[in-house]
Amino acid sequence: MNQNRVVVIPCSGIGKALGSVSREAAYELCEELRPDQTQLVALSKLVLGEEQARERVRTSPAVTIDGCKQMCAAKLVRHSGGTVLREVAVFEVFRRHKGLKPEGIAELNSEGRQLARKLAEEIAADLDEIAEGGTHA
Amino acid sequence: MPDLPERKAGIVACSGEELAEGTVARLAALKVLHELRPGNTVTICLPLFLAGGEGDRAFARFHPTITVDGCELRCAARGTEMYSGKPVASIVVNEVATEQHLGRIEGRRCLNEAGKQAVDVTAQRLAELVDQFVGKRPSGARVTESAEPQLVAANVGTCSCGSGVPLNKVLIAGGTVELLALPLIFQHFRERGRAPEDAGEDLLRTVKIYNYVPPEAEANYREAILREYSAFCAHKE
Repeated sequence: MNQNRVVVIPCSGIGKALGSVSREAAYELCEELRPDQTQLVALSKLVLGEEQARERVRTSPAVTIDGCKQMCAAKLVRHSGGTVLREVAVFEVFRRHKGLKPEGIAELNSEGRQLARKLAEEIAADLDEIAEGGTHA
Repeated sequence: MPDLPERKAGIVACSGEELAEGTVARLAALKVLHELRPGNTVTICLPLFLAGGEGDRAFARFHPTITVDGCELRCAARGTEMYSGKPVASIVVNEVATEQHLGRIEGRRCLNEAGKQAVDVTAQRLAELVDQFVGKRPSGARVTESAEPQLVAANVGTCSCGSGVPLNKVLIAGGTVELLALPLIFQHFRERGRAPEDAGEDLLRTVKIYNYVPPEAEANYREAILREYSAFCAHKE
């Protein structure tokens, strides 16, 4: 695994659709938009304190994507000694895209998938800007 | 013996985002929560055991908890035991798939056929464990929102899973003590028509199931719990 890749950590939220948007956005970013610049890390490994996962967040900048105000992903990255490059809250992105109301946890509706795509695109744009030496994030 | 509150089984999934088996664990948990045993189960997001509060960490002490993990790291099982309480049972998707000869599970975002079968088999196993630990309740018996207790001072998790166990601060012998699950216990007693005047001993016994009560302070606890129960009943009338 390339240690210079940005670590992407969604929140694992299982109770509401916003958690599923977080997961879907992480896949969209890591599999479709920026597969060569990012690496996905499971948040459950940080809960456990798994050493490899901790090492990855300690040695690479992290993007966290959280579904609710508890901000579990961001908190656990910091708890693991990592640096959060970009802290994304799905509910804030939803506020900017009110027409895309996510529904469904096991299977997101079309609007939820579109919201995830928009969120992933925003993060990808930020990563590009950072890579070009910008300061947006 | 006190008439105990009906318990729900807690389901904690690893949701491991890196592997397709993590997706299976998540979807199997959701299938049990929403389709197979909706009235008997609750869940909590695993990371809340670290990122949340005491009410969240009390989850596995209050609910007999079954964990479901994607791989042999067993993050959900071990994490639950480390931060909340020992699970009553745990399932690992990889092991279920091997045992059932389901083939290679692939597609963490969109499961292949083996993955979909693994969801069904794992969910069925989970449902059987739920029945074992909390008994089977008819699917129509889902607890409605209006039946949930509403203690004003309750401190509950506010995560998207919304399942933190209520933790209340109670004044006991001049000090503040945090007690777990009080509103649930009070609701249960009130629904069974237990008047505050004759509930003291049974209330204390039930509270002791979920909380440590120092033996030398039992009388003070009984008095405080009874006072809170009286207030709870008065608030409901």
